[in-house]
Amino acid sequence: MDNPGGKLKVVKPEADDAEQSLYAIRQKIYPRAVTGWFATWRTTLVLLTQLVFYGLPWLMWNGRQAVLFDLVERKFYIFGLVLWPQDFIFLTGVLVISALSLFLFTAIGGRLWCGYACPQTVYTEIFLWIERMVEGDRTKQMRLDKQGFGLRKLGLKATKHGLWIALAAWTGFTFVGYFTPIHVLMGEVATFSLGPWETFWILFYGFATYGNAGWMREQVCKYMCPYARFQGVMFDKDTLIVTYDAARGEPRGARGKSVDPKAKGLGDCVDCNICVQVCPTGIDIRRGLQYECIGCAACIDGCNQVMDKMGYGRGLIRYSTENAIAGVVPADKVVKRVFRPRVMIYATVLGLIVTAWAIGLSLRTPLKLNIIRDRATLVREVEDGRLENIYRLQIMNAEERPHTYRVHVTGAAPMEVVLDKPLAVAGATTMTFPVRVRAPMESLKAGSNPVQFHLTAIEDPALSVNEKSVFFAR
Amino acid sequence: MKQRIMWVLWPAFVVAAVTEVLFFAFFDPGEMLFFGNPLELSATATYSLFFFFFWVMGACSSALTCFLQRSPFEVNRCPLEPEGRPAGCPKRLSGACCD
Repeated sequence: MDNPGGKLKVVKPEADDAEQSLYAIRQKIYPRAVTGWFATWRTTLVLLTQLVFYGLPWLMWNGRQAVLFDLVERKFYIFGLVLWPQDFIFLTGVLVISALSLFLFTAIGGRLWCGYACPQTVYTEIFLWIERMVEGDRTKQMRLDKQGFGLRKLGLKATKHGLWIALAAWTGFTFVGYFTPIHVLMGEVATFSLGPWETFWILFYGFATYGNAGWMREQVCKYMCPYARFQGVMFDKDTLIVTYDAARGEPRGARGKSVDPKAKGLGDCVDCNICVQVCPTGIDIRRGLQYECIGCAACIDGCNQVMDKMGYGRGLIRYSTENAIAGVVPADKVVKRVFRPRVMIYATVLGLIVTAWAIGLSLRTPLKLNIIRDRATLVREVEDGRLENIYRLQIMNAEERPHTYRVHVTGAAPMEVVLDKPLAVAGATTMTFPVRVRAPMESLKAGSNPVQFHLTAIEDPALSVNEKSVFFAR
Repeated sequence: MKQRIMWVLWPAFVVAAVTEVLFFAFFDPGEMLFFGNPLELSATATYSLFFFFFWVMGACSSALTCFLQRSPFEVNRCPLEPEGRPAGCPKRLSGACCD
């Protein structure tokens, strides 16, 4: 524990909550808007990821929703692919690939995911846009929050929260649209006939979006995100991170534009605090790498603008590596150091798994067979003296076109299959058929005899599966 | 207290989400029995209820962890100075002993 011995000094005795006083109480952060190369990239990625997220459920494919995770029917539709719970391994594969990609990108360029693609960052960014649109820039927001409640403030706050809630509700609706066909869902919303669980999940996800992007913001990254805590495992001294060039910047200090900093004994940092004001997590990058830094590079854009105004070179804060800043690796070798063993190992493992995953998916037979022995009758004798076993064949047609199948059984004796109806299964469905198998008594030993079922699609003989079972004799 | 609630609920939520994925992969609500009787619930309801069940169970585990990780110092006496105790605490006034 942090406090093995003496009593803790209480920082804020007026705090009404005992636990809170043990921590710094959160000050609301008003990130200043910033423009520049990285801000443009972040905006582009926000738009791109959200275009995919909000748009994908509306996309149609072969007369159905292109991407639909149908929990009720237990089928996942992903464009031309239909995945069943039995294909769980591919989902696991996707998760492993995502994790390894994260490792690779983090080792190369730090928290690229956090700064540009993480939903927490993306929604916070969108909510900040709305906030700025309604309340104005940083200084106006701070002034507004200090004011007492009047009609104007009430109006502005109501507009902001109204817009936030509308966006959050739409996000919740879109999220549920991935699990329930979105056109049906839209119809249900329009006629106020949403099911209780659908309503609940739309509100739940909407509320989570509103709370996380509107209120929690950087606290999610600082206190809730496990990735922020273990990023150090993937970092090394050659990882590109947002860094302040202390050797160039220090000693910092204010000065006029016409003043020669060298004559005053100053570094290039004018101590304008822009880098702190633009930071969405409210840290000072000049203190070095901190786990709160989400790598959004807003401080780089902010600082570059100041450097331009002062007529100094850009890049006082820039993407660089610990080794480059320390002078261990010369600046022109930084890119070369990207191809170091750690990165190569991550890339190789990732490449192998992606290949294995793709091969597995392409070789997957879109047909599955389960054989369930009839529990009521173990074995019975039919008219011609042969023995009969009854099975139930569960046929899973994972293709979207219908198929009719042929089944034959091989074993120690010549086996005859008696079907009540043809084995016709519609596209992307599972059907169960009772099947009677008959065999002459004399060629079988008493007890269980191994047999094998062979199922083949009549229209496409390449589509076939084999499945083992047993035939009981007495 | 806010932090503590977050420490309890948030990891439990993450674990519940993962468990839910596994639950979906391995069990079909249509074939599940509850004390020998079929579940008379829609698949959506079953998945939703199980999600909350996993969340509550995870939260219990986190809460127990939170509870047990208190140091002997915290268990033996209040970690706050008397004047720093929250308003309304009967042992807030200096002089009132709190062991």
